Parts: sequence; C-alpha cells; structure tokens
Amino acid sequence: MPVQPNALCFGDEFPASGTPCLVHVEDHGLTITFPPDRDGVESRDESLKFSELTVSAGGLDHDQLVATWVGLKGQRTLYLKSPDVIRAFRQAAPDHLSQPLERAAEQVRQARQRHRMVWSIVGGALLVVVLGLWFGSDVLVERAVDRIPVEWERKLGESTYHDFLAHQDVMKEGPAVDAVNEMIHRLTGQISENPYTFEVTVVKSDVVNAFALPGGYIVVFTGLMKKAESGEEVAGVLAHELNHVLQRHGLERIIKQLGFVAVVSIVLGNPPGLGGMMKQLGVELMTLKFGRAQETEADLTGLELLYRAKIDPSGMITFFQRLAGKDEGRVEWLSTHPMSNARAERLKTQLAGMPKQNPEPFTFEWPKVRASQGAPPSILP
Amino acid sequence: MKSEILYPGAFPMVRVELAEGEHIKAESGAMVACSPTIDIESKMEGGFLGALSRKFLTGEKFFFQTLRASRGAGEVLLAPTVPGEVVVLDLDGVNEYMVQKDGFLAGAEGVVIDSQMQSMSRGLLGGEGFFILKMSGKGMLALNSFGAIHKIELKPGQEYIVDNSHLVAWSTTTTYNIEKATSGWVASFTSGEGFVCRFRGPGVVYIQSRNPGSFGAWVRQFIPVSE
Repeated sequence: MPVQPNALCFGDEFPASGTPCLVHVEDHGLTITFPPDRDGVESRDESLKFSELTVSAGGLDHDQLVATWVGLKGQRTLYLKSPDVIRAFRQAAPDHLSQPLERAAEQVRQARQRHRMVWSIVGGALLVVVLGLWFGSDVLVERAVDRIPVEWERKLGESTYHDFLAHQDVMKEGPAVDAVNEMIHRLTGQISENPYTFEVTVVKSDVVNAFALPGGYIVVFTGLMKKAESGEEVAGVLAHELNHVLQRHGLERIIKQLGFVAVVSIVLGNPPGLGGMMKQLGVELMTLKFGRAQETEADLTGLELLYRAKIDPSGMITFFQRLAGKDEGRVEWLSTHPMSNARAERLKTQLAGMPKQNPEPFTFEWPKVRASQGAPPSILP
Repeated sequence: MKSEILYPGAFPMVRVELAEGEHIKAESGAMVACSPTIDIESKMEGGFLGALSRKFLTGEKFFFQTLRASRGAGEVLLAPTVPGEVVVLDLDGVNEYMVQKDGFLAGAEGVVIDSQMQSMSRGLLGGEGFFILKMSGKGMLALNSFGAIHKIELKPGQEYIVDNSHLVAWSTTTTYNIEKATSGWVASFTSGEGFVCRFRGPGVVYIQSRNPGSFGAWVRQFIPVSE
C-alpha cells in the first residue's frame, strides 16, 4: 500500500520545497517514513525520541508544528500540518516539549483572535462610515453648501447653461416666452430674500422637459408647454424647478456625489471585483436616495410658492399625474422626476391643509399660447 | 496526465496530454487548441459561493474552464494572457502554495483551489489584496508570471527580501513579514520599492522578473488621451 505523506521534511539532502514523509506519533517519540523516491531509493523509516526534538510553531499562518533535530546528515526540520498528528503529538510528548508547544498554540490562538478583532474593528468602522454617510451626510452636505457663495454657484450653472443653449433652438420672443416670463415674475415676486436672478429660456423642442441649473438658470421645452392644459400646470413645474434652485439642490448633489466618491475611493481604493461593484452601487444608491428627498422637498415648497403667488396649485398635481399616466413621446421630465401615487397624495394632503383662496388668473390666454406652438387649443378630448 | 512546456521563454504554451476520462481545470480563456476528443465545460470551482468569493474577493475569473477527455485520449494546449514564463509544479498532497491572483494557469483535477483571507497588514501592504489563492491537493499545477519566473529556495531560517509586486507563489512552510524597503518612510517610497516582503524559509518562493503594475504605468504614458 502506498504511503500517504502527512508532513514535509527539510534538510541539506532534500529539495528546498521539502520532501514528503509520513509521521507517526508513538509513545517514545516519532517514526518518520520516507516514501520511495523517483531515483529508486527505497522507502525507509527513521525513529526519533522526544528527547532529541525541539519544537515550535511555524508556517505562513503559524499553524504548523515545526520539529527540529540534528541527525546523522545534519540538521533536519519537520513541518506537520495535520491537526490529528499535532493532537497526538501534544498528548504523547513529555512536558518539556509540550509546554513550548502549548505556548506556541496559545500564541497562534492570540494571533487569530487579534486578526479577528482587527477585522471586526475595520468592518465595524466601515459600517459606521457607511451608515454615517447614509444618515448623517445631509447635515454635512448642508453645512458645506452653506459655505459656498451664490456667485460661485452662478458661475457653475452659467457655463453649463450656455453650453447647453449653444446647441438648442432658443425662442427669443413670442406668446410662449411672454407667458413663461409672467409665470416666473409672479412666482419670484413671492420669494423673500432671494439671492438669485433667475434666467429662464424657452427651447423649441418636442422633448417634454424642464430643468433648473445651480445659480438660477431654468430651461423650459416647448414640448412640455404643449402637453399642458393651462398656464397653471406649467407654473406648477416652474415652481418645482425654482425651488430646486432656491434649496440649492444641484450644488448639494454635486457635493454629495463628489464627497461620497472621495470617501469611498479612500476606503476602497480602485479595487477589482466586489469592491468596484460596491463602489458603483453605493454611489448610485446614494444619488437615488438623495434625488427622491430633493424631489419631495421641491414639490412641497413649490406648492407653497404657487399658493403665495395666488396661482391655482391643483394645476401642478393634475399635470404631474397626467404626464405620468401617459407614456407617449419623450416625456424626459419623468425620468428625473418619477411620479408616484405617494408623491401625488402627499401634495394633495398638503394642499388640503392650506386655507382656501381665490386664485388670480394669468393675463395671457393659454389656448393662444398653445396655438402659437402649433398645438391644438386643447389636448383634452 | 503528462505536461510539457513548449517554447519556454516569454511566449510559452503548455501541452497537457489527457488519458480518456481525465480532466484539468484552467483559467477561463487559457485554452489555445485541443484534440476533438476534449470537451470544454465552464465550471464554478468550489460551487457557486466559492466561485463568487473568488471572483469578488481575489478578482480571479468566476468560471474556470474544465477540459475533459470524455471521448478518448487527447491533448490540450494552454497559454496565459500576459507574456511571461510558465512553471509546472507537482503537488504531492503535502506541499501547499499560496498564489497571487493572476498566477494560476491550470491544475490537475486533484488540485484544490481556495481563496484565503490574509491578515490585515499583509492584505493592506502586501500588494496582493486581502484574498489570495491557496493551492493544495495532488497533481500538476501550472503557474504563469509576467516576465521570467525565478525560483528562490530557502533553507530553514534562511531569509530573502522580495518586492511584493514581483511575487508569484510561495510555499506555506515559509513565513513573511511586510516591511518598509528602507529604514525611513520617505526613502522607502523614493527608492521606488515601497514595501517589501521578508521571507523566511524553509520553502520555495517563485518570483516574476517584471512588475505588472509598473509596466501598466509605463504603457499608460503612450496611450493617447481621448477627448
């Protein structure tokens, strides 16, 4: 029966990677069986008394029993890995041998405990950082945003705004521009302590969208106006976008994303595999969570602004719902402003809580504004 | 199973002869050519979770390919992705090797591949990441390197210092500590070595003559920057 080695023996006449051998623990010591090798040397046994051995722990993880002795051919070292053999050795060996071994075993246990502790601490710290970022980042971001002057924000938005408009068909005048200007005028008139000078541009495009850039730059697409049944509906969207600017949402978003990516990069580096995926996922989750909170805030403050400007706020809710209900054309506004029942319900509840007032109509006639865009006077059947 | 290294040097190939029913596992994409009697399967070594942990934790490929001589004896030609030498080891059931993540090329069916967690200091400073591959079991194991492979043989207690990014594989009877290349922190990094591993025998350490990270940085300067 071939010998199944369970240890490696090192010595001058053996290869550097050690020669495999079979170790038996006996009452008096060890019997080492060297299997026959390729050069035709037959299997041979070597017996060692415990008194000839010095033992310690070794190997990469300090989990191997290392026995050394001086034989006829110089010093030899035995590396035992099998837990069964190590256990047998500890039981059979005399005290003076097993004591250093126990000490070594204790050291291994301590090292492992230390590893576990270090890993737990690092894991815990990571968890705290992640949770801290998740829950505490709002406060940090707000404080960071507060320190950025409006002037910087304007410059930031301005370049993006002009870059964007350079490739667009901008409407300089006409009923649509006049209508939007009137809405903005009425809305901004109700903002106290407004540090922004709002600049609004109407862009001729069938894309159903409107957006706000940091610093007070707002773009409305004619596609959105064509979908609106009344001026109040467009005003609802504008109130929402104005509040993105007033609450400095764009800036918050930039800082949050920059900060989050920076922190994650510091912690994880630029790792392959899991790390890379977690990083991507984390940044996206963060953006998503943040986006939702901002939309809700812009909705509610937008509704209040409409109310103060005496523009019928129900137009905002009906328009949002109508846009969400129809999945035709390129309603891009929805991709960044996902409409949910919860969102509409929240607005309705908010509106119901406000005292009734008589809204003041706009000076323009909405069907004419729509007609100037080439749209039929009404989209309702 | 017999194996032979063809064209030893920078662009080697490994020829493995398989008897009917035998199989080997190889790094995904390593197969260059094979006899028509060989079936190629992709297999998640160590089960789904094992494969997942290997993929995510070591950055190694999720699937290994299994080349099985199911329809008669045949041969397989294997080659690594990067230019560099290949070394074939024979695991005897007792010898075990730790292998850095890009070092595995192929192994016989008796070779067991595990991902193993390193200690915090080795993981952070060793340049190998927190998880490396541990090869145990019995049979042929082919490792590949970037550049030439050099074998360092260490006697019990003998020490040797290796720049961590040149490591390919090392036997588990060795121990190593991570240390700064020079006594001062600044000098350590300005010397270009950063951290080094101080290995202590007995055992064998395989190193590669080129540093993949440095090579990548060198190539990067020639890549045109896109707009």
